[in-house]
Amino acid sequence: MTGAPTTALPVEMPQRKPRVRVGDRHGPWRRLQPVVALLAVVALIGVPLWIVVVTAGKSQGEALNPDLTLPSTWHFGPNFSEVWQQGRVPMAFFGSLLIMVPAVIGVLVLGSLASWILARRKSKAMAVLYALAISGIVLPPAVVTIVLLLRQLGLAGTAIGMIGVYMGMYMSTVIFFVTGFVRTVPIELEEAARIDGAGPVRVFRTVILPLLVPVLSTATILICLYVWNDVFYAFFVVGGRLDTLPLNLFQVASAGLYLNNWHLIFAYVILMSLPLLIVFTFAQRRIISGITSGAVK
Amino acid sequence: MTTRTHSLRRTVGSPPRTGGAPRARRLGVRQRGSYPASFLVPAFAVLGLFFFLPTIYNFVYALTSWSSFSSSIHFVGLQNFTDLISSGTLFRSLRITVTYAVLVAVFQNVFGLLLALLLERDTRVNRFARVMFFIPVIMSALAVGYVFQAILKPTGALNTILGDMLGHAVTIPWLGNTTWTLVVITLIHAWKWMGLSMLIYLAGLKTINDDVLEAARLDGASAWTTFRDIRFPLLAPAITFNVATALLGSMNGFDVVQATTGGGPARSTELLNIFIFRTFGQGLFAQATTMSLVLFLVVAILAFPVIRVLRKREEVL
Amino acid sequence: MKRYLTAAAAIVAVGLLTTACSDPSITGPGSSQSSGTATVQWPDATASLSGVTLTIWAAQNSNTTPKAVVAAFEKATGAKVNIVTIPDPYEQGVQTKVATGDKPDLAFWQPTGSMLTALNAPTNLQPLTGAPWITNLNPALQDMTGILKGTRYAALITSPAVEGVYYNKDVFAANGITTLPKDWNSFIADARALKAAGQTPLFEMGGDRWATQWWVQVQLADAAKSGLWDKVNTGKEKFTDPTILDAIKTYKSLIDEGLFNKDIATANFADQGAALLSGQAAMVVQVNSFFSELQAKTDTATLNKKIGFFPISPSGNTGTFIPDQSNALVAFKTGDAKREAAARQLLSLWMGKGYPAFIKDLNTVSLETSVPSPATVPQALLDVNASLANSVGSMQALAVANPDLYIYLADMIQGTTTPEQVAQQTQDQFAQLAKAQGVAGF
Repeated sequence: MTGAPTTALPVEMPQRKPRVRVGDRHGPWRRLQPVVALLAVVALIGVPLWIVVVTAGKSQGEALNPDLTLPSTWHFGPNFSEVWQQGRVPMAFFGSLLIMVPAVIGVLVLGSLASWILARRKSKAMAVLYALAISGIVLPPAVVTIVLLLRQLGLAGTAIGMIGVYMGMYMSTVIFFVTGFVRTVPIELEEAARIDGAGPVRVFRTVILPLLVPVLSTATILICLYVWNDVFYAFFVVGGRLDTLPLNLFQVASAGLYLNNWHLIFAYVILMSLPLLIVFTFAQRRIISGITSGAVK
Repeated sequence: MTTRTHSLRRTVGSPPRTGGAPRARRLGVRQRGSYPASFLVPAFAVLGLFFFLPTIYNFVYALTSWSSFSSSIHFVGLQNFTDLISSGTLFRSLRITVTYAVLVAVFQNVFGLLLALLLERDTRVNRFARVMFFIPVIMSALAVGYVFQAILKPTGALNTILGDMLGHAVTIPWLGNTTWTLVVITLIHAWKWMGLSMLIYLAGLKTINDDVLEAARLDGASAWTTFRDIRFPLLAPAITFNVATALLGSMNGFDVVQATTGGGPARSTELLNIFIFRTFGQGLFAQATTMSLVLFLVVAILAFPVIRVLRKREEVL
Repeated sequence: MKRYLTAAAAIVAVGLLTTACSDPSITGPGSSQSSGTATVQWPDATASLSGVTLTIWAAQNSNTTPKAVVAAFEKATGAKVNIVTIPDPYEQGVQTKVATGDKPDLAFWQPTGSMLTALNAPTNLQPLTGAPWITNLNPALQDMTGILKGTRYAALITSPAVEGVYYNKDVFAANGITTLPKDWNSFIADARALKAAGQTPLFEMGGDRWATQWWVQVQLADAAKSGLWDKVNTGKEKFTDPTILDAIKTYKSLIDEGLFNKDIATANFADQGAALLSGQAAMVVQVNSFFSELQAKTDTATLNKKIGFFPISPSGNTGTFIPDQSNALVAFKTGDAKREAAARQLLSLWMGKGYPAFIKDLNTVSLETSVPSPATVPQALLDVNASLANSVGSMQALAVANPDLYIYLADMIQGTTTPEQVAQQTQDQFAQLAKAQGVAGF
């Protein structure tokens, strides 16, 4: 507010209208925003999901052309049970779990261990190792030669082979997240533990690991997402030998050759997505806070 | 808080910090025992065996005559590369793949950011909306492909809705246009993943210091100015993560496209991975491996400048 | 450190090169050596096999075919058989898995020379020399297909598909067509007459693509009879030469003339079936699997009334046969002698004692002279089978390699390529595949 000094005139300055800033606006936007949000949800998410739900409830004839209309009678029961049997859902669920849980635990534990070292030790060698370690995030895995390798190791078609493949694919993601996070942990905490006589394993277990929980939660949900839904790699490694939910979706979708059985396909899609959705609904806040600490620092 | 060293920076060659930085202490010999290198072994063993070794195999087999037609394999040097380059199909697939990746990166991030801005406040409506937008992220890409195949058929739901709105029958072939279907499928891909981008941007918005924003408000900045000059630049780390993973990750795209168009119509959406799958299916294994190798190299080459540019933006902070 | 890493990588690579000199997916010692003249044991069809588990790979459109036979086999022998569906594209999926060492005991497979080569039959498949049921087959079919370089690798189980014209009888009657076309020209003349009368004459599924190639192949029937494919196989004739190129151009001109459905670019397999059944289109050029789709939509009485079949070729009614994946089975060399014998045993039962029940369950034409076809088999299928006697081989049956002609033709339908480009791309791919096989002249 520079300017030549003026003789102050006893004129009343008009009241400055309070400016609004994004995220905390008063007035029209505050009332409008929920409406806009809900409209967006309905249009972008609601319509496709509505089609999925409604078609999953129809009989085959009605489901030939999936649209927005309600079924004349709800066939959820028969459709879900047919899918349950045809798609061998319990087996597939167990198969997916059998592969996902060890893979996720394995990659988190091994990845954190390595990340801790990579974060704390600084040298040219460590820098190179780190670069190598996170290259897997963007570099595509070689599916054909992976299977060839598994064949040579005698692991082709086994759950262990599949777990190994997923661990190899997502190790980089874990190392990326965790290394960044470990750097924010004050080194004094470790020093304190070490002065008390703890060896590296104890230090890691008692000091670092508990603090890693938020970022590990983020990594867990991300990797679970990828592994739970993967069909491309699963097809090559365990296709036909093991049931997983996405592989069986493939089978269910293929079963109706001349008349696409959309009703079964969408019923399966619902069954398949439900577990993860439930987990996410309850763990929402923790996931967001995990991302806050892990990805964007 | 200056603890923002993401070591991705190291991959693009900026010099490591030398001693004297107040926060990062050089480890003496005594302290190296506290961080045993043996902890690195299990992770790198897994990485080495299940990731690097197959990738090296890729390099090797691309130089051979491996096919389904004969059991013997012999070295053919760069023959596969020259054949591939001269036929022109490789460049076409690469062009389509890069276009796909760029469009996905743009759409996914724009949508994600818009959603994050829209749903920023922690109201119940917003929390509900966030969960809803995350549902596509949770669904398998294959499922998403099937859903949109049903919606975008010439007689599908979208055309029916449009027809009802416009009053006459609409039969636009959304997945049957050789020019625009590529854009349509990038929109589908962005639809699937925008919930994740949204979450990352939400997290990024939350890390912006309230004091800075308060100061801007007191200075009388408008919502748009605040966003443009303060919030957007401070979102740089989130942008780095989102753009890098969207761009480089979708170079490896397969599921969504395979489930919606299978590479058609007229192979106008044939991503490199789909081309590889098709070539491998014809028994031409060495050629498929060569293409896989080319994809690997292209992504690696792209990664450096992209990450460098994004990291530079962060350094300004 | 970096230097050590690169050195290590180089050593590993060289080491791998030396081990890579032979296909790692070949089964280890214990697998039977391939030899066309070695005698093959054929076990009794119902000998006990308890404790043995067999796997059959099938495609989407063939995964219900083995069900009845498998049930009978399990009951008679105590073995367990799993039918695994490999999703489409079937051939790609199978070849990929075999390449990485994953093999079933039996699989549905197109019994043509080019496809048996694609599976590296001499190394991967059991020779079926001396199979006990061959002499029961109709003589015309015994050696028609399934044989590569003198050795039988594939067992034909159902009537090989034939490319020809399926037509709607009601539409023909309504438009005064009382005699079936005797050659290509009268076929097109009929189509034009139908168009003039306001009826869509022909229907093509440009969206699903795979049927586009039949149009080109039926036009090549006469040339095929005079050895076209032998010339192509030795490089003496190319897809870009007039014989094949003109066939492609004719197809394009028919489309441009407006003789096909308006939504040709997006129509799919289901649309095509629906269109012919309803009379919306008068004729389609298709193979047996199209008729199977019709059978899934309606009953035999309706089909006999509504749908007819006639083969077509430039100068007459010569059919072009194209045995497809659902017509035959191959048995793999798995290295486990017990399972290999069990697989052969299943085939013996299938084509021997179990054959009558099999064709009754499938309601399809019998291949064996002593087993009559069920009375409920639609007339059209019987006509298709009858046309096999003087049919000629298709590209799939006679060429050494199988280029994706249908994909390039579909591109042409989309309007992105010209007939010349279609021919060129097909030729390039054919040459590439032939070269990979080591065929002389490429």
